[in-house]
Amino acid sequence: MTSETPSKENLQIKSTAADTFKRLMRFMSFRVLMLVVTIVVAVYSTIMIANMGGYVDTIMRNDIRESTIMKVAAMTANKPISGDARRQMQEEMIALEEKRLGLDTPFIIRSFRYLGNALTLNLGRAIYMVSDHGSKAVRAIILERLPATLLLMGTAELFLFFTSVFLALMLSRSYGSFWDKLVITLSPTSAAPPWFYGIFFILIFAAVLKILPFGGMVSSPPPETTIGYSLDLLKHMILPASSLVISAFFISLYNWRTFFLIYSSEDYVDMAKAKGLTSRDIERRYILRPTLPTIITNFALLIISLWTGATITETVFLWPGLGRTIFRAIGFYDTPVIVGTTIIYAYLLAITVFLLDFVYAIVDPRVKVGGGNK
Amino acid sequence: MFKKQIMFVIALLVVASMLLAACQPAAEAPAAEAPAEAPVVEAPAEPTAVPVTRKGGWLDEVVFSVIDSGSALTQIQAGAVDIYADSLSSADLPAIKEAGVKYSTSNGLYYDILFNPAVFADGRLNPFVNHKVREAMNWLIDRNYINQEVYNGGALAKFFAIQTQGPDYVDLIDTARSLETKYAYNFDKAKEVISAEMEGMGATLGADGKWQYNGAPVTLTFIIRNDSDKTRLPIGDYVASQLEAIGFTVDRQYKKGSEASPIWIGSVPEEGQWSLYTAAWSSTIIDRDEANMFQEMYLPSSLQGIPAWFSNVADPEFQALGDDLFAAKYTDLAQRKEMMKRAMELSLQDSLQVWLIDGKGFIPYAQNVVATADLAAGVQGAQIWPYTLRFEGQEGGTLKWATQDLFGQAWNPIAGSNWAFDAGAYRGTMSGDVMYDPFTGLVWPLRIESADVTVLDGMAVGKTLDWVNLAFAPEIKVPGDVWVDWDATTQTFVTADTKNPEGLTAKRKTTVYYPADLYQTVKWHDGSSFSIGDVVMGMIMTFDRAKTESAIYDEQAVPQFETFMSTYKGMKIVSADPLVVDYYSDTVLTDAELLVPAIWPTFSFGEGAWHELALGNQAEAAGELAYSIDKAEPAGIEETSYIGGPSLEILAKYLDQDVSDNYIPYAPTMSQYVTTEEAAARYANYKAFYGEHGHFWLGTGPYMLDKVFMTEKTLTLKHFADYPDLADRWSNYGEPKVATAEVEGPASVTIGQEASFDVFVTFNGEPYANADVKYVKAILYNAAGDTVLVSEATAVEEGHFVFTLTAEESAKLVAGSNKLEIAVVPSVVNQPTFTALEFVTQ
Repeated sequence: MTSETPSKENLQIKSTAADTFKRLMRFMSFRVLMLVVTIVVAVYSTIMIANMGGYVDTIMRNDIRESTIMKVAAMTANKPISGDARRQMQEEMIALEEKRLGLDTPFIIRSFRYLGNALTLNLGRAIYMVSDHGSKAVRAIILERLPATLLLMGTAELFLFFTSVFLALMLSRSYGSFWDKLVITLSPTSAAPPWFYGIFFILIFAAVLKILPFGGMVSSPPPETTIGYSLDLLKHMILPASSLVISAFFISLYNWRTFFLIYSSEDYVDMAKAKGLTSRDIERRYILRPTLPTIITNFALLIISLWTGATITETVFLWPGLGRTIFRAIGFYDTPVIVGTTIIYAYLLAITVFLLDFVYAIVDPRVKVGGGNK
Repeated sequence: MFKKQIMFVIALLVVASMLLAACQPAAEAPAAEAPAEAPVVEAPAEPTAVPVTRKGGWLDEVVFSVIDSGSALTQIQAGAVDIYADSLSSADLPAIKEAGVKYSTSNGLYYDILFNPAVFADGRLNPFVNHKVREAMNWLIDRNYINQEVYNGGALAKFFAIQTQGPDYVDLIDTARSLETKYAYNFDKAKEVISAEMEGMGATLGADGKWQYNGAPVTLTFIIRNDSDKTRLPIGDYVASQLEAIGFTVDRQYKKGSEASPIWIGSVPEEGQWSLYTAAWSSTIIDRDEANMFQEMYLPSSLQGIPAWFSNVADPEFQALGDDLFAAKYTDLAQRKEMMKRAMELSLQDSLQVWLIDGKGFIPYAQNVVATADLAAGVQGAQIWPYTLRFEGQEGGTLKWATQDLFGQAWNPIAGSNWAFDAGAYRGTMSGDVMYDPFTGLVWPLRIESADVTVLDGMAVGKTLDWVNLAFAPEIKVPGDVWVDWDATTQTFVTADTKNPEGLTAKRKTTVYYPADLYQTVKWHDGSSFSIGDVVMGMIMTFDRAKTESAIYDEQAVPQFETFMSTYKGMKIVSADPLVVDYYSDTVLTDAELLVPAIWPTFSFGEGAWHELALGNQAEAAGELAYSIDKAEPAGIEETSYIGGPSLEILAKYLDQDVSDNYIPYAPTMSQYVTTEEAAARYANYKAFYGEHGHFWLGTGPYMLDKVFMTEKTLTLKHFADYPDLADRWSNYGEPKVATAEVEGPASVTIGQEASFDVFVTFNGEPYANADVKYVKAILYNAAGDTVLVSEATAVEEGHFVFTLTAEESAKLVAGSNKLEIAVVPSVVNQPTFTALEFVTQ
């Protein structure tokens, strides 16, 4: 009998592990399936919206005719060319351009081609846009702008995130203090977008004080040494990064402070206080720990949101980032670029959402992956 | 409690300050100026009179960068940039003046109302089928009001399809001014004419003051553009209000270009999806022959290929006249002039488009900068800018050139970037063999010495400048040994004897002469001497890309090539050193100066040395790169870029090969002109150049492309000391000689008696040189505004002209008020000056 007990226990453990594995696999399969379906729907919707359900073809055809007429008129002004030759040249150029832009293939076929390419991360080539280095490969267009966006957005958003969380935690512990009230008072300043502050900063620091540049990523021409280049880059980043930080600083601080305040007033925190624990221990063990899933979720979403850049702020500061690229792509109806940026964001979001389920289970013992209704 | 109050006050202040800042009204525009005769080009100072020894451009460096147009003036004031080469709009003109910076002008868009001339299939009444209604629209719209209110007085009122103050307009100034007076704003006349025509078409004016047709209001669908430079929105609203004021119901549809074009271009006019459209067109050169414009802008035979034109039933006389002018069916310039006069008159009667405004762009720059702007193309579009841009009274220095963008497309001379901002930059690296006059549109010799132009007898061709000789001949035979085509298989030129054994004739022959020291003085930026090989390679490139047998065949090149071949009759290198070339063609223009053929290796998007093009050709032949986007796209390869990106590695690979092989492209032909030693020297120079500058872009211009930073959107042009000409060669183009005119005369004239009027023409306070004045026209209007006399004033001394109203002429006048308008037309700048004086006859 005694020998049977461990065996049963082992069997039970094995059975539990197998169940857990099955449950996990089932959960993961279902999640992956749902995420894939979501991505397909989202990307195809993007393709249809970006092309107005195919109406963009009509727009492009008329734009081609209008621009070609003007182009040929400019090319042939002051040049002795017969009317018939000019008309023929015009029509041939229109046909060539329509062919180049794929307008000789029905939109519905092209839309599935876009979708297939996107899902397989074959980003293809842009219709109108070119990378700064002259390439029409969407990959090149995106990758070229990504470092600039990550540098600016990453610096600003990470600084904002950690500073906000740190200061908010302190504020939540001194509810009603002068600083707490100051933050509450100044939180409406975040109603103004970053570019609003950007314009003021440019006026003050570039136009009047002349101590910081108006915009761009580096001086023209850029410094030749690596150190000089880096310092110049930092100098150019001060105003745009400050705009991004300042515009969101007080509201972010206010949000986190309110969030922590809820946990700070829990009974178990009062109990910890009564037990005489230090403030640091209380913050770390009793406030931060239960709020960790939310903080991690925010952080993860913040990281992938860097991908989209800050369109208007980048435009105001002429920062060569992805935000401006996406904005221009929408203006040009450049579907491959729009789809390219969308699919990458969609994949990043899906992976993040997928992984967060597991991260929650790790950081919070109350969460059980795939537990469902059990 | 006190702290709470403080916090409350701070919060209120913050919110209030933000609200106030956000709601601050735009800076109030200064009072509008009197209607502009022409936007004034701010005067830079005269170039230095001290003898100059510097060669090439005036500056040591020109640093290009990208800025936002909204901050251009602030950045110029702050010294962050010296010039914003992309023009600002008329809306910015008050701010430009307020900022105290200099500025030059360029042609902007030109605006009009385009009418749908079709009979609507569903039976609705379309008033604009009726020519008289369209003609009356000229009286209904106050162009000066639009100029003042929308363009801050910085544009020109426009009545004709030809450029206001362009060469043809100036040539026909008396007709133009008379018609402008006739069609000046007159609301009552417009209402009267339109009412009569509407009633004639069966419409009735309802009790509500609205036109009705078959029991329904006559509704005009007005497509008003709300994008672009935003000026078409207020224009559209104004025109709509005027139409509503005379009883029309207007459906204002505000749309972006992409929304509007499927309607006004894409729909069938008879469907009646639109009635009017706020159109706009562009012209960025001084077009010296606009005889084509009447057919192009009004007639169903127009090349526009837009349905509205096809639906216009034109007056037969106008149709024939427009077609004849387009086809240059006139025997001499005098006949052409008469035809143009009549066409201008008939065009206003047709009025498929009612022209409103010739827009202007404004290029601001710092007070210490001297910049020459082409009257049409501005600074960055002017070939002359690299020769004249400088700091006042200074040699050298670094000029900070700002523009709206850079590197819009790959840079290659054959089919690369044609973005204006890119062209502005690479134009600094180019030279060419002729210089386009920025003020007249004629050309001057830059590298060539002279040219002989021979055209068939009876052709309407004239000449203005001395460097070209014009002759007429009854027949021009093409010799048998000229190159008339290219065999891409054998890589040799085809001669006339081979292709046209029966003989060939042409309508024009041009012989171009180059100086004896051409090959010694002209250098490419890598230090290689210019050679006959560059000229021959340029000709080969014209043909080879359009030949299906070629390794670099590109169907994108075919349309232009076919156009070229439709008139090309042959070319012959008469002498290689000194270079003399004969060129035969079947087409002519009215100016002999513009009949100089493109022999210099200047392509559409930059100059190209033979060894530079050799690399690109090799990469394209191997399927690794393509000059044009049309070829690169389907092949999934990159467009050839000589300045950056993945192209550089590929081009460098071929350069290394060529260095070891001393490769001569198109050897069956080119090896007759290029030696192995020349090839070796060129490739060695090119490799050293690439090593130093990191790109492959070459030119022979006054500046060389030094460094390119593509992601950072900046580049540097550096002074090219080996440029053959002195820096001050084109300094007389520092400022357009726009005349100032005043007229003095009696306030009262007795009918039947002679009267004299003095016209004083000056420039910067000094008498205008009579040699530079083409003519001074006097146009006399009676009290009704009708033109009663057109005459010319006579020069009596430098800058002083007299117009005499003879006794016979004054006898024809009636008692009352008269207006004498004087138009001074210089020959050195295509910008007339007007002045007027009123007097009474009794």
